[in-house]
Amino acid sequence: MSIVDQAVLVIIPCYNEEISIGPLLEEIKACGMNYATIVIDDGSKDDTFMIANQVSPTIRLLKNLGIGGSVQMGVMYAERNDFDFCVQIDGDGQHPPSEIAKLLNAFRENPCSIIIGSRYLLHDTFRSTWARRFGSQMISKTIHYLFHGCNVTDPTSGMRLMDRKAIKLFASRYPHDFPEPISLVWALSEGLSVAEVPVQMREREYGRSSIIGFKPIAYMFRVISYIILARVVLSTRCSRGRD
Amino acid sequence: MHGIRENTQIFIFVFAFFYLLFLARKAAHHQVDVYDVFMLSMVAIVPGFFVIFPRIVYWIAKIVGIEFPFVIMFGFLFAIIFLFIHRLTIKIHRLESENRLLIQETSLLKHSLSSDRAK
Repeated sequence: MSIVDQAVLVIIPCYNEEISIGPLLEEIKACGMNYATIVIDDGSKDDTFMIANQVSPTIRLLKNLGIGGSVQMGVMYAERNDFDFCVQIDGDGQHPPSEIAKLLNAFRENPCSIIIGSRYLLHDTFRSTWARRFGSQMISKTIHYLFHGCNVTDPTSGMRLMDRKAIKLFASRYPHDFPEPISLVWALSEGLSVAEVPVQMREREYGRSSIIGFKPIAYMFRVISYIILARVVLSTRCSRGRD
Repeated sequence: MHGIRENTQIFIFVFAFFYLLFLARKAAHHQVDVYDVFMLSMVAIVPGFFVIFPRIVYWIAKIVGIEFPFVIMFGFLFAIIFLFIHRLTIKIHRLESENRLLIQETSLLKHSLSSDRAK
């Protein structure tokens, strides 16, 4: 079965994204790739659920669980509905749906359990703040040193593809604090393979990121502590290619 | 009686009695589980024990080389409270995870039901 025939679910976690969610879902449809979508509304206070539900299956979490809880919800949905792949993208429109094909093509060329869409592989997409870039770089270096040369340039990227192995792992347990880098480390510890592909990302048009000012630095120290703990405590098997 | 005044003893016994009574009532109404009752009752039992057997405090203080015997009592209480907080932290984390899972499962079920109804 070719990758084109396999079921792909696009998971879109969102919170108060009434302005961007509609255009984003239209953009996914316009790709013409017949991706299945699931919007996880993390208890928004605005009309996100109402708008998303008109265009796509939408699950409204009864209580705000944060990005980790929302993504895990989407992965649980993928597992129970027997999807082969799921692709996580942000609900704020930062990740252009046209880039999803790059992740799928990367899987076709080099099948890995997790394929991350990286902002930093080619440096040709928008630049985030210096504090964010610095924090991300430090996290990458820590992963590189602790997991025997795993080269991930954008561990905090919210755009990633997961295959069945990763879906199975993350449906059963998924970190709720700093989910992107920590889930990556958990996957590496479980022996799942990870790869990256350069993608274009856009600056968010509406709303404001919660990680601003010096927060990325504090974020970095906390994430690095978690990574070290995961390396010390969990089983450590890292592979860059498929087993 | 080894430097512990009678009014101090009375004060500690009265405190211990009422606190244990309070805990017993809570346990009887299933508002606190038995393990918690046991840990919390130590706040009354440990001072009560040291008031009844003050020689033991002096003896332990001599063995471990602590100059002020009352530090022993506070040390015991601190250790018990630490154990209690440790257990509560783990319990809260587990409940948080269970609560999160319950929210996810309920949300998923609600979605399935509304999808079925729409069909």
